[in-house]
Amino acid sequence: MRAIPRHALNAGWILVLPFVVLVGALFLGPIFNILWLSVSDPTPGLGNYTELFTSDSLGRILWTTLRVCVICTAISVVLGYSIAYAMVHAAEGTRNKMLGLLLVSFWISVLVRTFSWLMLLGRNGVVNSTLETIGIISEPISFMRNELGVLIGMVHYMVPYAVLPILASMQSIDGRVLQASRSLGATGTQTFWRVYLPLSRAGLVAAALLVFIINLGFYVIPAVLGGGKVLMVAEYISVQVLVTLQWGTAAMLAALLLFGVLALLFLMSRFMKLSTVFGGARA
Amino acid sequence: MHDKQFMRETLLEGAQAFQAGKLGRRGFLALCGMAGFASASVLAGRAEAAAGEIVMWNWGGQSEECHTSAIGNAFTAETGMPLKFDTSGPLQGKIREMVDSGNVTADVCDGDLFDAVALGKTGHLEPIDYSVVDKTKTIDGYALEFGVSIILYGYAFMYDTQAYPDGPPTSWVDFFDTERFPGTRSLYKWANGSLEAALMADGVEKDQLYPLDLDRALAKIKSIKDNTIYWGSGAEAQQMIVNGEVSMGMVWQNRGRSIETDTEGRYKLVNNGAIAMPGAYIVPKGNPGGPAVMKFIATAQSVPAQLDLFACLGMTPTNSEAIAAMAESDQPYSITSEQNFPNVVLNDPNWWGENTDTAVNAFLEAIS
Amino acid sequence: MAGIGNSGSLHLKSLVKRYGGFTAVDNVNLEIERGEFLTLLGPSGSGKTTLLLMMAGFQDITSGDILLDGQSIAAMPAEKRNFGMVFQGYALFPHMTVRDNIAYPLSVRKRPKAEIGAKVDEMLDLVHLTDFGHRFPKELSGGQQQRVALARALCFAPPVLLLDEPLGALDKKLRIEVQAQLKEIHNRVGTTFVFVTHDQEEALSMSDRIVIMNHGRIEQVGTPSELYQHPRTVFAASFLGKSNFLHRKDAVYALRPEKIDLAAAGTGQGANTVSGVVQSVTYFGAMLKYQVQVPELGEIEVDVDAWRGGTPVAEGTTVDLTWANTAAVRLEIEPK
Repeated sequence: MRAIPRHALNAGWILVLPFVVLVGALFLGPIFNILWLSVSDPTPGLGNYTELFTSDSLGRILWTTLRVCVICTAISVVLGYSIAYAMVHAAEGTRNKMLGLLLVSFWISVLVRTFSWLMLLGRNGVVNSTLETIGIISEPISFMRNELGVLIGMVHYMVPYAVLPILASMQSIDGRVLQASRSLGATGTQTFWRVYLPLSRAGLVAAALLVFIINLGFYVIPAVLGGGKVLMVAEYISVQVLVTLQWGTAAMLAALLLFGVLALLFLMSRFMKLSTVFGGARA
Repeated sequence: MHDKQFMRETLLEGAQAFQAGKLGRRGFLALCGMAGFASASVLAGRAEAAAGEIVMWNWGGQSEECHTSAIGNAFTAETGMPLKFDTSGPLQGKIREMVDSGNVTADVCDGDLFDAVALGKTGHLEPIDYSVVDKTKTIDGYALEFGVSIILYGYAFMYDTQAYPDGPPTSWVDFFDTERFPGTRSLYKWANGSLEAALMADGVEKDQLYPLDLDRALAKIKSIKDNTIYWGSGAEAQQMIVNGEVSMGMVWQNRGRSIETDTEGRYKLVNNGAIAMPGAYIVPKGNPGGPAVMKFIATAQSVPAQLDLFACLGMTPTNSEAIAAMAESDQPYSITSEQNFPNVVLNDPNWWGENTDTAVNAFLEAIS
Repeated sequence: MAGIGNSGSLHLKSLVKRYGGFTAVDNVNLEIERGEFLTLLGPSGSGKTTLLLMMAGFQDITSGDILLDGQSIAAMPAEKRNFGMVFQGYALFPHMTVRDNIAYPLSVRKRPKAEIGAKVDEMLDLVHLTDFGHRFPKELSGGQQQRVALARALCFAPPVLLLDEPLGALDKKLRIEVQAQLKEIHNRVGTTFVFVTHDQEEALSMSDRIVIMNHGRIEQVGTPSELYQHPRTVFAASFLGKSNFLHRKDAVYALRPEKIDLAAAGTGQGANTVSGVVQSVTYFGAMLKYQVQVPELGEIEVDVDAWRGGTPVAEGTTVDLTWANTAAVRLEIEPK
């Protein structure tokens, strides 16, 4: 086939150009504004960034954020994987019901979930009072208002996000490949580790990235379920913007998150094609 | 007053998630706007304040209704100017952003007096016109250049009567004494009030509190950290008590009455050592409604308006005439009533206006 | 030649597979001999693939038994049966190289590395893919993938190799080439091959024996030439090659088109002679295919060697058709 003539391409670009410029401006403008703020407020220079190395509290907040996000991501992805696995292997009717329940959970606001967890696992919650009544424990277990509470709340929120990409990649696995593995003498366990898991890896990585990146921005759940003691970076940014008016610090942290996520994507792209991660099935 | 802001933000987050589904349509509209198909209004931004009306920037919920009935109706009857609301919560950061962007859409903010100090200093506020607003209709020292206190709220604590049947806690000293009064406590996590309480517990006289000794206060806060959980919103503070998560909890003083009712008297409010916070009306620089807003503020100082705000929101009047006119049964719940006044601390807006950033960050670091 | 692989015999006893009310495999009895190339031939839905999957252990057995060298394996899970299997579409592991694919059955059996390496080299040589070991499946042609699948399934020396329409995805020219390779490999390894196809030419050209299946039942079993020369049922006669069916008294006879001679009217000499009018003639290069209308038999198809048959007879010409007595095969079952 002949190549499309040059001038036809140019005409197409001219038509699209206003939209490209608009989207670029609306998208990049605020980002540059943040980057600019991070080196200009309150005084020009890299002062906000050097704070990272001089301030214990910033380091601690970032460490808390990283720790909670990594643990939450690991648990969410493992749970999500199990649920997706059960869904793929369920009968179609059951699978649709499970998918329905999963999607319904997206509609429940984070605040409702948060307060439901308090009712369920709080000091005088259903679980603790039941355990106390039947005499298993004498003092309530502290599930909530600490890091455990934050993890429970965040994992609960993130599991559906983890399930969907994993489910998509599992559904694209050819069942005959698994039969082939068994016909070649592999046990169920061997088939899982050597064939099923590698073939669902793209979904697993996508889920982990998605969950981790969303986790980084979590605000309400740590704020409420952490009892004020689990301070994560999103809440800290919000306080700096709205209350203490240290916009430079806030912008620096926002820029740090942005570059952190980009670096993560870059690292990931060194190991696998991102299009396989986000594009679902491979050809 | 950050509590309502907190609730609001969390609710907004849900709304945003919902709206995310509509993003395609909105994106499309924006593109159409660029191409000249849509009217400029699509891109015009949020508000539409105009001369001839007053836009009050408050915290939504009940306050919209209460501000209308307590102030708005009388103001409109007198001036013919309607009162409108922006209920997105006038936090300092938002006021600063609005003024800096040059698109000022609010006339009066239901803020804190320390906001008036912090934002007045940086040129983000209009000065209060004391030829219209009455300096004597507020507490001494609470009529500042860039803001005037209209109502008072504050921090007090409540305790579980069943946890301490043989002698209840009566002061912040008791509150911080986990030996004599075991059990979990709650404090406000954005420092305000918590620092004053800690210093009083550590033996500082209430008239010697300011300037706050941050290190001393934080040391005291840390001393009971293992027994303390922290709240960021009034709803949360209330829930910690109603759910029985704490045996002693700091609360917004104006909520004390409803919590006593909700727990059928199991939890009792202690006003001794309560820290009274001056809620203030402040005016963003270049407000669209112009000087007429001063008349609005003056209306809010009137006795009927003040009594109505107390009835509606539980906020204590700053106008002493209004306090005098209050019913006997309301006196215990009014933070500056005659019986409470000798025992309460008046928050120093100047200290907080200068030191909020340091104090909040140091506090967050101490508790996290 | 004894072959370099293993081989085993299979005995299917009264095998039945039902799904709800539908009977997919209906009382199948079959002895598969050690080292033979046996083809299950039938249209889709005839039960041939289900039967294969039952042998592989991927389908439960409703009733009956499967014996390998006299031992029942009916209750044995697929991975314990040690059968090689080549799947439709090959089912190669996309995330593994050719070498790793072929090594897979040995590595899951935890064989020593050196042994695996040597065996994989041997298998790559067997399927002529020595230079392709480092490639991934998607970097190979269909025919090459098919050979990898074969090497993978044979590498652990299974007693039986099951092949489920392994050539279905290949184009016709390539298929004929691969058929020859497959046959050659069978000869070299000597393993028992059970091959499923719906392609009669494939079945005829490769098999030691063919099992014709229809509606879950075995219609007929035999060598290719037995089946072609002596079909027992209308289905067998029509599914394997073409047949004219002659209805005589109380019996039906199958008569292959190439066993009929065509002569000018009145000159026909043979045990059976009928007269008819040529309806159409089609040229196929090697042969001419005539459709002849015979009043007492209906339309009869006649294949004539184009080289020896001389000038084609024009449409509308009256001709004589003759055939030997042995040419028409009496069928056992009445057509409906």
